[in-house]
Amino acid sequence: MYDTPFRAERDVSAKDTKIAAREVQVYYGDTHAIKDVSVDILDKTVTAFIGPSGCGKSTFLRCINRMNDTIDIARIEGLIEIDGEDIYDRRVDPVQLRAKVGMVFQKPNPFPKSIYDNVAYGPKIHGLAKNKAELDEIVEKALRRGAIWDEVKDRLDAPGTGLSGGQQQRLCIARAVATEPEVLLMDEPCSALDPIATGQVEELIDELRQDYSVVIVTHSMQQAARVSQKTAFFHLGNLVEYGDTDKIFTNPQDSRTESYITGRIG
Amino acid sequence: MSDMNRHILSAFDRDLEGIQAMIMKMGGLVETQIRDGAKSLETRDEELAEQVRQGDKAVDALEDSLNEEAARVIALRAPAASDLRVVLSVMRMSANLERIGDLAKNMAKRTSVLSQLQPVNGSASSLRRMARDVELMLKDSLDAYIQRDAELARDVIARDSEIDRMYNTLFREILTFMLEDPRNITACMHLHFIAKNIERMGDHVTSIAEQVIFVVTGAADDLPREKVDRTSFDPKYSVQDSEE
Repeated sequence: MYDTPFRAERDVSAKDTKIAAREVQVYYGDTHAIKDVSVDILDKTVTAFIGPSGCGKSTFLRCINRMNDTIDIARIEGLIEIDGEDIYDRRVDPVQLRAKVGMVFQKPNPFPKSIYDNVAYGPKIHGLAKNKAELDEIVEKALRRGAIWDEVKDRLDAPGTGLSGGQQQRLCIARAVATEPEVLLMDEPCSALDPIATGQVEELIDELRQDYSVVIVTHSMQQAARVSQKTAFFHLGNLVEYGDTDKIFTNPQDSRTESYITGRIG
Repeated sequence: MSDMNRHILSAFDRDLEGIQAMIMKMGGLVETQIRDGAKSLETRDEELAEQVRQGDKAVDALEDSLNEEAARVIALRAPAASDLRVVLSVMRMSANLERIGDLAKNMAKRTSVLSQLQPVNGSASSLRRMARDVELMLKDSLDAYIQRDAELARDVIARDSEIDRMYNTLFREILTFMLEDPRNITACMHLHFIAKNIERMGDHVTSIAEQVIFVVTGAADDLPREKVDRTSFDPKYSVQDSEE
């Protein structure tokens, strides 16, 4: 037996592929929104999608848990697999898929229910708790992981919508992790948060990658640099460059990536 | 100065141009320091030597403001990729230029002492030629920086071997002078330190040229370099050998 060799914190080479996309095309009516995207997203890794507005990064993110199914004019071609299973296979139940692939949105969207019920809802419908005590435990654990427990533990019956924007977002993250997903998709999760709440969410993202594959869409280049190990740069529906975050931010290979991350007119 | 299109935030462009203009100003000052230091040595001009000694303060002050300004750009602009390389290279280059400035100042200090001593024939003009070559290398490395010309930078790096060869020759020459007449020893010791100083300047210029390659390519140039200065481990540069 050999000792595990020294590995830099950001080293991701030893990780397995969690999500594999091959030649994915997305059309909204006549608009070709995603053009021939192939990418391997790793397990236990934070992957950041960056790119200017309208570049397709959110569209591609939403393909991963079939959120685009809800848009009538959206048409998807190509293959997306999670753990080697085609998620667009007819036998796949989107509801089950979304339990495995959690999502956090740009705008906090708590259910019009109590804080407790917001988090308990998912575990309840998926039958993750045998009794009230277990459910209480799941809710507390999720709220702690969402870095909001201390702020809400004395008012779990209060409505989730009564929290501040930053607290609502952390509640939504707690809700997303309550079902113990394997993949967590985050679409601009910090755009409505102050720097302290952003820091807490980023710390949380870093913790989550111990267990999950996290994919985050962000407009903040600094956030991508801070939290991710892999970065994908999208431009006009193309995946222009995908690689180690360190490399993308110090010496990108494509001039479009360089222009974008240095804040130049591309 | 930018090798790419402009930033959306034009103040960022102004900041980057600002620190690069400062490094050019500093480089120009240091070129003058080398030139005047060597000139004062050859012409035994104590006044000019004193001017060089005083001139080092301006070089040091520029280094300080450059480092402050570079830190400000890092803090406020969070530069990435090629922008980050510009800031990093400017900081490293300013450290090199500051060292070259110190070496020029030291040359001027020794000139003041040498002017009081009996001249040793020929060495001062050889030293001035050597300093002239280093000054040209510095000028070319700064031009290469502004023009983002990695080829010119590689040329500068190659030319450092010639400086090392000149130093080897001077080393033996100075040794011979000392053997010929022990009364020359004080002056020769100073001349040797000056020769070594100029040789070190060449190494700092080489390091600046390497920064040019880093800025242009995003990677350090790892070509092996010829080791030409053999005075520290080759017995043919020893006294015994010269006595033969």
